[in-house]
Amino acid sequence: MLKRSLYILLLFTLSCIDPYKVEIPEGEQLLTVEGFITNEPGPHLIRLTRSDTYGSVFEGLIRPVTEAKVALRDSEGNVTFLSEEVERGSYFTPAGFQVQVGRSYILQIELQNGKTYSSLPEIANSVPQIDSLSYESVRTFTSDRLNDKVGTQIYAYFKDPSDQTNFYYWRSGPGDYVLVANPELYTLPPTHPTNPRGPAPKDCCDICFAKENSRIQSFAIAADESFNGLSQKIPVAYIQDDGLRFKRTYRTEILQMAVSREAYRFLRLVQQQINITGSVFDQPPANIRGNIIGLTDPDEVVLGYFIVASVSRMPLYIENSRLSESVTPRIIPDDCLTVPGTTLDPPSYWNPPRD
Amino acid sequence: MRKYLLLLVLFSVCHLTAYSQQKTVIGRDIGQLKDIKIGGRLTDQITGEALVGATVTVRELNKTEVTNTNGSFNLVLDRAEYVLEIRYVGYETIIYPFVAVGDGRITLTMIQEDFDLDDVVVFGSDPEKNIRSTEMGAVSINMNTLKELPPFLGEVDIIRSIATLPGVSQAGEASSGLNVRGGGADQNLILFAGAPVYNPSHLFGLFTAFNPDMVNEFTLYKAIIPTKFGGRGSSILDITPRSGSLDRWGGDFMVGTVSGKASLNGPIIKNHLSAKVGFRGSYINWLLNSLNNPDLRSSNANFNDMNGILYGEINENHNVTYSFYRSYDDFALASDTTISWTNMSHTLRYQGKFGERTNVDVIGFYTEYDFSIFNKSGINNFDLQSGIQDLGLRLNFTYNLGERNKISFGADSKKITIRPGDLIPLPSDGESSVLPQSVQNEFGRESGVYAQHELEFGEKFGISYGLRYDFYQYFGPRTVREYAPNLPISNGTVIGERTYGDGELIQSYDGLGPRASFRYSFDSKTSIKGGYNRMYQFIHLISNTATIAPTDVWKLSDQFFKPQIVDQLSLGVYKNFKGNIFETSVEVYYKDIQNVIDYKDGARLLLQNNLETEIIPGQGKAYGAEFYVKKNLGRTTGWASYTYSRTFRRVITPFEEEIVNDGEWYPANFDKPHDLTLIGNYKLATNASFSATFSYSTGRPVSFPEAKFDFAGNSLAYFPNRNLQRLPDFHRLDISFNFKLKGKGLFYQGDWTFAIMNVYGRKNPYSIFFADQPGSPPQPYRLAILGVPLPTLSYSVKF
Repeated sequence: MLKRSLYILLLFTLSCIDPYKVEIPEGEQLLTVEGFITNEPGPHLIRLTRSDTYGSVFEGLIRPVTEAKVALRDSEGNVTFLSEEVERGSYFTPAGFQVQVGRSYILQIELQNGKTYSSLPEIANSVPQIDSLSYESVRTFTSDRLNDKVGTQIYAYFKDPSDQTNFYYWRSGPGDYVLVANPELYTLPPTHPTNPRGPAPKDCCDICFAKENSRIQSFAIAADESFNGLSQKIPVAYIQDDGLRFKRTYRTEILQMAVSREAYRFLRLVQQQINITGSVFDQPPANIRGNIIGLTDPDEVVLGYFIVASVSRMPLYIENSRLSESVTPRIIPDDCLTVPGTTLDPPSYWNPPRD
Repeated sequence: MRKYLLLLVLFSVCHLTAYSQQKTVIGRDIGQLKDIKIGGRLTDQITGEALVGATVTVRELNKTEVTNTNGSFNLVLDRAEYVLEIRYVGYETIIYPFVAVGDGRITLTMIQEDFDLDDVVVFGSDPEKNIRSTEMGAVSINMNTLKELPPFLGEVDIIRSIATLPGVSQAGEASSGLNVRGGGADQNLILFAGAPVYNPSHLFGLFTAFNPDMVNEFTLYKAIIPTKFGGRGSSILDITPRSGSLDRWGGDFMVGTVSGKASLNGPIIKNHLSAKVGFRGSYINWLLNSLNNPDLRSSNANFNDMNGILYGEINENHNVTYSFYRSYDDFALASDTTISWTNMSHTLRYQGKFGERTNVDVIGFYTEYDFSIFNKSGINNFDLQSGIQDLGLRLNFTYNLGERNKISFGADSKKITIRPGDLIPLPSDGESSVLPQSVQNEFGRESGVYAQHELEFGEKFGISYGLRYDFYQYFGPRTVREYAPNLPISNGTVIGERTYGDGELIQSYDGLGPRASFRYSFDSKTSIKGGYNRMYQFIHLISNTATIAPTDVWKLSDQFFKPQIVDQLSLGVYKNFKGNIFETSVEVYYKDIQNVIDYKDGARLLLQNNLETEIIPGQGKAYGAEFYVKKNLGRTTGWASYTYSRTFRRVITPFEEEIVNDGEWYPANFDKPHDLTLIGNYKLATNASFSATFSYSTGRPVSFPEAKFDFAGNSLAYFPNRNLQRLPDFHRLDISFNFKLKGKGLFYQGDWTFAIMNVYGRKNPYSIFFADQPGSPPQPYRLAILGVPLPTLSYSVKF
């Protein structure tokens, strides 16, 4: 919380932020490793890509690195191979693979060109259980006065163990929600030969289940330096109200993970960069160093971090009736099944508490 | 022929003035012929305030004296008739003929000029001071001069005005720190009434934390710093407060767009004890709430400052001044976190004159800077408090060996206590879920002894040389870590700890700082000066922003943080044209800085007990050339300054993981090679003036990413190197129109100031940053602090 408040942007007077075109040097194509393995059953995903130019909208396309040999080695000497699946550059552990708390793991990579890479050893620490989750509406001002941002802040409650130093990393799992449509408001298309835009109520369907597919996944981190051994309530996720998600019930999962000190440092630099606002009090951009080194060429820079974590997972159902604020709901005047990716049946794990 | 005619007219005018005034006879005639001592004092006719820094010229001898802090001057003359010419900026010049027959006193009052069209003098002091004095790189500005500059948000501003001088720059449009000749923001010692001020800003640098009405004048030393000052590497900014009138009560108030102020001054005991109090406060919240920036709309800001000055004159040779100063700021960020800071100082100063030759100056001071971050978000509420206290004493003796032969010597010492941070949990929803934390306090003592000798050989050649011995001690109680030798200092390389007791010496440093300068005058209008300077600095501002930010940490030197040592060589040529109407100078310098600090990537500074793990040692160098032209007199006055300068840093470390930019020199955050300022003031009529400031500089260095990569769905930027690219160039024009209401006698003078900042609305980028925000692709963004023209209006009255 302390750090968070310091990162809050501080701009004064008539300041303004706008996209700006600058000449950027052509980017290097550096190997990037992203992924984490946990003590939950697999498969776990490691993604290999190549970095590119950080320029304007159309510059720089991040490409997957395919046909690499990827393996995990633990401190007991066990080796697990990962296999590349349909999505190129994505390497999965076998379904039965689970991280053992107390062991350390190394990620080994051999590329098609013969170059080899290895991560530094990452130890799996145990994680305290999430005791409960809570949520509340938050309203934030935006530069458009009539359209304040509204969202739901999720808090995790847990007891930090006093006998160890803990580094926490929270992510939210994929979201599902009840998509509410209004098929009775359906109108004929404007091109209709006899009755353009004429009312033509449909009987079905007003309730579907939709999956979230936003690109940016938010995360939260904390170190127990300031709360070792104490019970905590920490904001771990924030989901913005887009007028659709919170119309009835929204389900997400909170993953509370314990990571290593070095992984925490990496995540802190990532968070610092994500929160940059260009203001007077921003720290200058830091070089985010990862934990992968080149074995063939020790001077080669490899980006990204291989994270080993243990997980405590808890689902959360956010009910519209318990939210104090919302934005103007979006109306879908059609059969909800016309929205891509929706189903009539809830996903198998859909199990909202009844009360 | 015309010329002769003009001369003739001028001549007769002079004649007329000379004869129209009755000659006063000074002194009791006891037949004394030589060494007649005449003392004098200058005051404002209306307010009765002493006029400090006015020049008193004896025409016949071409000799000039400057009035001291209580407006007094002293002359030693032979028995004869003389004409005194007394000049002071913003006042009508006095011609005072008299006959000196014996020891005596002259008391003179001056009248403030109402924009007299033909005789505006910009800098009050001796018009040839820049040529004749051995002082170099020192600029004194009187507050009356400052009032002619375009105001910032309705008020003249000390720090902002200093930044218009050659060799001085600021990191950006809302930053309080000054960078003097390539030095960091912490390398400037800012003294208010002799007491150090750690954070001279209101609202994170939007305003200077000194009420200009409470200031008499300020001097910035940027090249050859007198030996009586030490402890900071780049410059000394010495601000003297204005004391109240010994004669009558008066005051003034001002109402501006964002702040207002009032002051009152007058005699408590007539001619012996005066008081002056001033208060300035903001009402900026309405402005914040009307802004479009979402975080500002939900923010609150307050600032105020107050001054109190008691001036007691025991007799004409002895006086005592007590000054109190306090500035306060709070800023509530997006409503649940409040940052606040307070500067507070008490100063007691005695100035005395013993006989004709000896002057004594004693200053005792206590200063406190407190800073707090207060969180009441409801979750993990806390209060983080930190602060610095200085308690010190300064003694200075000046002894005049002869007319142009002066020695000064003295000593100073101060105790510094730093409380780097105490985290105090506050009750949240029920029980507290934050642990109290406390960073170890630091204790240090900075002391110095010094001597300086100023000597002039005739009119042409003068030297000034001196030596300062700085001595620094760092005390316990403190627990200090020991790190494995030959490994980088980090949390992982700790091999032990050592605990020092209360008052136990942990580390000491000392050093000799020679200062020397010479002046050679080719004639009364041209001179050349040069000098060398060495400064030591035992306190470091640990900050990784480009400016003074609220989250910065001050750190005393210890075994890991060696004192910064700054060596500077400078050379300058000075020439005045057209009877001192134009003043020009060219100065060049080279500076070497040892033990500067740079930061590890993502350094964590707050609540950090072991700051040594977050920094990397480095060195710095800076060089530059400064060009300056000033027009002192006439309907149009102003100056142009251009600086070409470079400032570099280099990290020196044997450890590969700490190397920055391959161990090469790289530009410092505030390296701006070209810097141009044009300031002009034009008198439109007797009661109206127009002024404009234009500034241009190269954009400051920034880091652009060399690649983009993905993590957790976010596109991140890869920054392997620091400061290799630059922001676009900065330029801005500010104008102001000043209008004075006349009438209702001398006691009521209304002053309207209408100003527009950033006239053509340039969006000067404060920064360019790379962000991946929901709803748009990852791309560069520009932050402009002042993106539109900003008009302000203020009204002030003096009574």
